[in-house]
Amino acid sequence: MTPVSRTDSARSWLMFGLGLCWLFVLLWPLLGIGADGVLSFAETFAVWGRIAAAALVCMVVWRLRRSGSLGFLDAPAGSLRDGMARVAAGVPRPVWLIALAALALSFPLYTERYAQDVAVLVLVYVCLGLGLNVVVGLCGLLDLGYIAFYGVGAYTYALLSIHYDLSFWLSLPIAACLAAVAGCIIGYPTLRMRGDYLAIVTLGFGEIVRILLNNWMSLTNGPNGLLGIKSPGIYLPSLADGFSFEHLYMRKLEYLYYVILVLAVFTVIAVRRLNFSRIGRAWEAIREDETAAEVMGVNTFLLKLLAYASGAAFGGLAGVFFAARMRFVSPESFSFMESVMVLAMVVLGGMGSIPGIILGALALIALPEAFRGFELYRMLAFGGAMTVMMLIRPAGLIPAKRMGKRGEEAE
Amino acid sequence: MEIFLQQCINGLTLGGLYALIALGYTMVYGIIQLINFAHGEFFAAGGYVGVILLAWMAAQGMTQSHPWLCMGLALLLTMIYCAMLAMAVERVAYKPLRHSSRLSVLLSALGMSIFLQNGLMLTQGVYDKAYPTEMVSGLVTFGGLQISIMQILILSTTAVLLVGLNALVFRTNVGKAMRATAQDKVMSALVGINSGRIIALTFAIGAGLAAAAGIMVGFNYGSVRYDMGFVPGIKAFAAAVLGGIGNITGAMVGGLIIGMVEVMAAAYIQGGTEYKDVFAFIILIAVLYFMPTGIMGENVDDTRV
Amino acid sequence: MNRNMWRVLMLALALCLAATGPALGAKLKIGSLSPLTGPYAADGNDIANGVRAAIAAIEKEGGIPGFDGIELMAEDSACDPKQAVAAANKLVSAKVAGVVGAYCSSATIPASEVLAEEDIPMLTPASTNEKVTERGLKYMFRVCGRDDDQSVAAVTFLTGHLKAKTLYVVDDKTTYSQGLADNVEKLAAAKGIKVIAHDHVNQGDKDFSAVLTKIKSANPDALYMSLQNSASGALMLIQARRMGITAAVIGQDAVYHPQLMEIAKEAAEGAYLTFGFIDENTEAYKKFASAYAAFGKPGAYSGYAYDSAYVLLSAIKAAKSTDPAKVKAEIMKMDIQGASKKIKFMANGDSGSNYIIRMVKGGQFVNFWDPATGKTY
Repeated sequence: MTPVSRTDSARSWLMFGLGLCWLFVLLWPLLGIGADGVLSFAETFAVWGRIAAAALVCMVVWRLRRSGSLGFLDAPAGSLRDGMARVAAGVPRPVWLIALAALALSFPLYTERYAQDVAVLVLVYVCLGLGLNVVVGLCGLLDLGYIAFYGVGAYTYALLSIHYDLSFWLSLPIAACLAAVAGCIIGYPTLRMRGDYLAIVTLGFGEIVRILLNNWMSLTNGPNGLLGIKSPGIYLPSLADGFSFEHLYMRKLEYLYYVILVLAVFTVIAVRRLNFSRIGRAWEAIREDETAAEVMGVNTFLLKLLAYASGAAFGGLAGVFFAARMRFVSPESFSFMESVMVLAMVVLGGMGSIPGIILGALALIALPEAFRGFELYRMLAFGGAMTVMMLIRPAGLIPAKRMGKRGEEAE
Repeated sequence: MEIFLQQCINGLTLGGLYALIALGYTMVYGIIQLINFAHGEFFAAGGYVGVILLAWMAAQGMTQSHPWLCMGLALLLTMIYCAMLAMAVERVAYKPLRHSSRLSVLLSALGMSIFLQNGLMLTQGVYDKAYPTEMVSGLVTFGGLQISIMQILILSTTAVLLVGLNALVFRTNVGKAMRATAQDKVMSALVGINSGRIIALTFAIGAGLAAAAGIMVGFNYGSVRYDMGFVPGIKAFAAAVLGGIGNITGAMVGGLIIGMVEVMAAAYIQGGTEYKDVFAFIILIAVLYFMPTGIMGENVDDTRV
Repeated sequence: MNRNMWRVLMLALALCLAATGPALGAKLKIGSLSPLTGPYAADGNDIANGVRAAIAAIEKEGGIPGFDGIELMAEDSACDPKQAVAAANKLVSAKVAGVVGAYCSSATIPASEVLAEEDIPMLTPASTNEKVTERGLKYMFRVCGRDDDQSVAAVTFLTGHLKAKTLYVVDDKTTYSQGLADNVEKLAAAKGIKVIAHDHVNQGDKDFSAVLTKIKSANPDALYMSLQNSASGALMLIQARRMGITAAVIGQDAVYHPQLMEIAKEAAEGAYLTFGFIDENTEAYKKFASAYAAFGKPGAYSGYAYDSAYVLLSAIKAAKSTDPAKVKAEIMKMDIQGASKKIKFMANGDSGSNYIIRMVKGGQFVNFWDPATGKTY
């Protein structure tokens, strides 16, 4: 680390002081003027003082690091990190995969309901995130209404299960197809648009689907939601009287965990295969430069539609599971905020990167749960953490390897 | 006919508010191509700071003696406050990401939106805050038409702010610098424009307009709430895109159209009140289908998308 | 290192400092589920505070023998089925003895399924949808009234007192508000009142001018305003009165909150609301009022939440155990005057309703008309 000049240090302390003053000015009207118009400073100073103290600690650490005074800590930490990386690189990949699989399979054995429930949710969002990744990460189309397909899947299974008593497993392909069709319907008129125009139109479609779900009383039962959805069932061999199959509804959370694990693994493999196929390469070409891709003979219209359809199909699969897991669906689950959360997982994890998105889903579902201890501060901490993570790793937690730089970013 | 005109006024009022919020979106987008998710939060913060200032003024006895002065002062101070808030947010959450992918800034903006919304909730509580609506009450009647003083105030303040903004952007040096930065950051830097400062200023102006909208919403509807920025935020975003994102006149037109469509759908279509947002979005999609860059948008070239 | 890293670290540390962890101890644990964040946070906090007040009241009476105090786990259901289920699972993992909640029926229903799997008693203070108790769950109780009873009270009032000929119905499309509005529309039509129209607005709307202009031109005798949130009710009243709509306005219990008068001020005067009869002169109410004083003015559901928690804790006290079967037996045996109403559970877990008409008068809610006797108070 290069030694830092005195003026640089003075300047950063000045900025630091200015920032704190600015913060005080912003905080005071909100905390210091009561509803009855009484001015007070105590509370503002208490809150501001705590933030200032925390900031001061960070500032001191940062300054010390910049000036090299913490070198005695950095050196061993660095060598430790290098050592660990070397050990990690030494272990062959299959070993990692087996260890991961073993961990995932044995997860319900040593955890409680709550942890399992969070794990199930994480896996649902892994499916959603990977589905959206096809559209946003691979094909580069910003989609703010992705949750609509999740909703289509969930309501498809809910209606099939309630009215026709169709089994979970049969509903999976049906819902995936329906979601894909919905994807094409939404995709078709939007394909002429680019960038943010696309974003607002998909947002509009997402809202339209949600409002329809909320208002189409005869089909969806409106805001009351649909009750009485069956859990996934399996046939177990039974030896009670002769050999027969017994039908069992998998209501227990452990079973559901395994079902969604299978779905998530299927999604991971499918998206991976797509990514490294001809189609995936064409998608990436469209993402990097649509005009160039078209000139090179890529049928951009068809491929973009295909991206929408396949992304939607994965969303539909996740939706079917969601309906089966909740045994209840209502339009609240498919709001715009959900679309945004899924998009956040993709961007936070690293667009186009499968392990990144898994990590992103884990972070965005597990964080609000982990922050439950903060009670009212939960969402505040979550919002702050989201910005902080983006600032630290702008390209995502685990950036994809094959991601080009587009013109405007290179500026 | 009277009812139709009445509904037109309702639509104009709503549209004017959307237009004010949409302007912030469109200005920020025009200059750094960012959909600023936190913009709706500036609107909500404006509503809160306005009512807080008015409560203080009421305690001083000022609102009773000089109600109009107080309103003007509250409006001005609130706009300054939100401008400062926006500059702080820009400095902390957006500026460090200026050279990252656009989606990372989008996400950072989203995090800020959640953060600010919950910050408002924690400092101001979960209940609605009542506005001193009695300061401006009264109706003006033209034949069978009724227009409340507040509606007139909203329309006139909106008009004044819009004219002022247009003058700022098209008639001053700062406006010229803004337009130059929006077109090409590198070139404008070469001719001596401090693009960082111009971007911060754009954020500040956009947030100031949103704050004005917030305070007027408070007066018109009677209360503000910590999560009130979200829905108008989406609508205003839609309005900005409808008009052609990045285009200031477009944002005004888009806001008025969305407001009108909502009111007219609710008024004249069977079952329209529950589907009014659907109609707004269908109009948006239809317009974008035939004019892929919005009503007044310029052709966006590939490098920007 | 990133130039802006310090800012980042500052933010992170500030967050850690700002939050304080919950206290731990070997105590009787009960849970509450309500929307502490999001659009219904106001009612959700009332519920959590009602439960806190009940705990304070029980502890003042000497606590529960065998336990070293009562600990509340107030979880956020956010009115979202997914989060409600996660919170319910968290409560199950923490082995709570019972749960008070949730608020939105769409959160209560899936959460109750989770709690039912582990036989944890659940008492809802606010979910009025019929389906809540009609699924045959063994440990599901409802302390508040039911939508179907509330709409009967409203329509009896329309015919019996207001003698309304025409009615305009508006709801904001939630399970609760729409169910109620549909019932009122049906019953009113059956009683010979002409229902001019039934319009829906969206939750979180602030601008009702389009609908209200329609109402003004239709000029109905009465407007049934079924909204999920008291602030929305206040906004609608302000705009309606400003436009000069003179129809009698009838609201329901979700609009019943001191906020209504705070925001709408004189526009709220004369509005009618259907609400459970509260006898403020009973011992139970006074006890509730003094225990709740620490949390501000009681909201619509504070009393119900207080009663729910009070019933649960008294049942645990009487059963001398947290065994669900024994607690249920005690709950069913109970026949007490609560803060909000007389509580006696029926076999399906409902506890009956006692809706009356209250009116806003001089900035206060006052008892106005009793549908059972047809008399004004």
